[in-house]
Amino acid sequence: MAKNDLQGTLDLLVLKTLDQNGVLHGYGIVLHIQSASNDLLRVEEGSLYPALHRMEQSGWISSEWSMTETNRRAKYYKLTPQGRRQLEAAQESFDQLVRGVRAVLRFA
Amino acid sequence: MALFRRLTNLFRQPAIDRDIADELQSHIDLRIESNLASGMLPEEARRDALLRFGNPTSTRERVAAFDASLALASLGRDIRYAARQLRRSPGFTITVISTLAIGIGVNVAIFSSMDAVVLRPLAVPALDRVMVLAEQQQRGKEPVTLADFNDLRRQNRSFEDLAVLQGANYTLSGAGDAAQISADLVSSSFFSVLRTQAFLGRVFDESECQPGRDAVVVLNYGFWKRHFGASSRIIGQKVQLDQHDYTIIGVLPRTMQYPPAVDMLLPFAPTASQLADRSDHAYLVIGRVRDGVTLKSAQSEMQLISERLAKSYPATNQGWSVHVEPLLNDINGDLTPLYYKLIMGATMFVLLVVCANVANLQLARGVARRSEIAMRTALGATRKRIIRQLLTENILLALVGAGLGIALAAIYLHLTLIAMPARVARYIPGWDNISINGRALAFSVFLAVLSGIIAGLAPSIETLRIRLVDQLRAGSRQATGRSRLRSIFAVAQISLAVALVIGAALMAKGMSSMFHQADIYSPEKILTLHPDLPTKRYDTPEKQAQWYISALDRLRAIPGASRVELATALPYTDSGWELDLAIENRPTTPGKLQTAVRLAVTPGYFDAFHIPILDGRNFSQGDSVHTLPVVIVSHRFVDLYFGGANPIGHRIRLGDSKAPGPWLTIVGIAQEANYSLWENDHPPAVYTSSAQQPLTGSTITIFSNGDPIALANPARKALASIDAGVPLDPVQTYRDLIRDNLVGLMYAASMLALDAFIALLLSAIGIFAVMANLVGERTREIGVRLAMGASKEDVLRMIIRRASWLTGTGLIIGLALAFALARLVANLLRGVRPDDPITFATVTLIIIGVALAASWLPARQAARVDPMQALRSE
Repeated sequence: MAKNDLQGTLDLLVLKTLDQNGVLHGYGIVLHIQSASNDLLRVEEGSLYPALHRMEQSGWISSEWSMTETNRRAKYYKLTPQGRRQLEAAQESFDQLVRGVRAVLRFA
Repeated sequence: MALFRRLTNLFRQPAIDRDIADELQSHIDLRIESNLASGMLPEEARRDALLRFGNPTSTRERVAAFDASLALASLGRDIRYAARQLRRSPGFTITVISTLAIGIGVNVAIFSSMDAVVLRPLAVPALDRVMVLAEQQQRGKEPVTLADFNDLRRQNRSFEDLAVLQGANYTLSGAGDAAQISADLVSSSFFSVLRTQAFLGRVFDESECQPGRDAVVVLNYGFWKRHFGASSRIIGQKVQLDQHDYTIIGVLPRTMQYPPAVDMLLPFAPTASQLADRSDHAYLVIGRVRDGVTLKSAQSEMQLISERLAKSYPATNQGWSVHVEPLLNDINGDLTPLYYKLIMGATMFVLLVVCANVANLQLARGVARRSEIAMRTALGATRKRIIRQLLTENILLALVGAGLGIALAAIYLHLTLIAMPARVARYIPGWDNISINGRALAFSVFLAVLSGIIAGLAPSIETLRIRLVDQLRAGSRQATGRSRLRSIFAVAQISLAVALVIGAALMAKGMSSMFHQADIYSPEKILTLHPDLPTKRYDTPEKQAQWYISALDRLRAIPGASRVELATALPYTDSGWELDLAIENRPTTPGKLQTAVRLAVTPGYFDAFHIPILDGRNFSQGDSVHTLPVVIVSHRFVDLYFGGANPIGHRIRLGDSKAPGPWLTIVGIAQEANYSLWENDHPPAVYTSSAQQPLTGSTITIFSNGDPIALANPARKALASIDAGVPLDPVQTYRDLIRDNLVGLMYAASMLALDAFIALLLSAIGIFAVMANLVGERTREIGVRLAMGASKEDVLRMIIRRASWLTGTGLIIGLALAFALARLVANLLRGVRPDDPITFATVTLIIIGVALAASWLPARQAARVDPMQALRSE
């Protein structure tokens, strides 16, 4: 059974983004999700932060303050080993969901 | 690790808050930056960034919720906020807290004392499995014979073990005053049946329950404290009981006050002839049923065994069966549980009133806080957050209320323990165990808090559901359907208070009439002494009569004693047992019992206690041990056994057929006297002369012109000069003697009065709250009315009419309830009628007065409304 919901999907997007890009701040994550999905996926920007902090408390990602290219202070996030395992599990779970939904749609 | 981080976060809350704010700000700044880069104007760039971001305040709260250990950190903030809110409305806060404290306090106290006295008087594991066994025939239950006990003990499978108890009195001598003590001889299985061990030293075992080896005693805790000053060095010391040496080997725990009022336990060492006896029903038997055996199956097994015994020993056992009953019923008797049920019922009423009151206040407050909640929702607080905040507030109130409640309960219990005379408390097993009961506390707190929370949350949750904008726009408190609910609460409070006040008034009235029954004798001027002649030294009627005669002579010589009399019982105390009775030349009809109460009195007793001799003669100095035994019978005796015919000259005999007393010739008829404090029926009585047929355990009454207590010491001295070894206690006035008998009832009555007072107070607060709120909510309407030409009197009348309606409804329901309660009280006491018109009318007037007084203030406030201001405030 695929365990998934919207929050899980946001987690997956964030984890995948960090996996591909290494270290990013919250704004960067928003930009990446938007561009990688060809503008199909847009998150309400504020709602990203509770998710980030929850994942940090769970030990999937870690954070540190650093300077941006334009010399602004920003908090950067990166994946932890535990977060990588979580990403794999989440990806598997999402794939199952998609396969399941597809199968139902084809059948109908 | 994650947990550790959360916990450490707790202690750096301000730093984390700043951190989160910085991070969110940096996001918005980055967005503005790129907006500017893509060519937007500065103002437009800012607006777009904020729109894309959403509500920063609520985001910050949500983020913070994850950072801190979810609830803990914000809990502190909730508590601070709650405390601030509560401080802002001190009237509400103080009322709720004191209401909760009173309700919780009274309930905890009463339940704790009931639990200790009635439900678990002995700290015995699985007390419900301990049974009392009695032998039963048509005439009723009797103790068990020793041979039967041994057969029952050997043959049954239902009981783990049986134990035997036999009461005995001894004179304790040695150091200090001689004391008459009451002991029980018990088998060693007594301790295993009750699962009790020695608090100090040890208890005796099987080997010490044999004649010759049985000179050991185990002390009751209370006696050890009273008599030996709780000294632990007492173990191993010798005491003299009836001039024989015994060694103290142990002290029982404080919680083992069983059998009631027994000072010490001695080994039961039966002789061979005792063991073979099947006719002496003299032994109390207790036993512990095995795990899983029901009372019913134990009873039916005992039935089988007793049938077997009846076949084997028809001469002694024919017609006898064995009756099994829980020890708890036996200890409690009839009255104590009844009192406690009455008080507990009343106290639960009070808890209901408390709940209604708290709910009422919370409802009012909840409605009043709608705009505050709407404002907070608008500012981004989530629904969960607000509910948690309200819960925190309620729990905070409840905790403070409960804390004060425990303090009240402790004070209350302390006061009752002090107020109960030790000589009465001795007879109440479990009285010394009373302490605050955790279950009662949890129950009361739970109920009170739950009602507060439900009432407090309901209007707030409703607020969360309605549209914010409407609520904010309306801005003011509008009357809603809630006010009907509050009225219902107020009505419920009034009706409960009415019922309680009437019940308490009737009980107080009954108690006072019982207490004053003996007033015709001026009981405050009569001193009573209770000489207890040691039966071993005063073993013949001659010796006893001699002591009584010289005692009366010496006491009569004391200056200030106007009159000295002797009687085995005084009116309104206790008449003692009824004895079997035979009338000469008249065969007894089987199944028809002839019994009478027997008193031994001095000739002057009849005159002193206003009992006229209706016919024949009084006793005289000439009636002595050496002359013809004579008897005076009561009027009712004549009616009952002689059909009103003249009985003078007939002879009667007292005592059962096996050991009858001498024939007594009837020489006089006395009027009825009431010996029972509780009942109004007069059992037939026979009086013998104390000089001719003396009885041990008589009461000496000294009538004094002044303060009778002043005669106590001269009287003690006078009697000690005859025999210093005769205990006299208690030496107290006749009035105090009656008071001691009524102490349980007084306790019940004063508790009921306290409950009633609290209920009345709370319902006054309830009415006040409802009316005050009503006026608050209708200020604008009142303003309009005044502006349209209504007079202040009209407004006043409008408010008072509303209050009268509430009070009237409450009164009607309450009076109906009170009738039911009154019937219960009337069954319990004499001198109480369930339809006592004066009490009902007085209480009704009091309630109306209280209700009007409580609504007067709000009504006056309504009449003072300034129409211009009321309208402008909208």
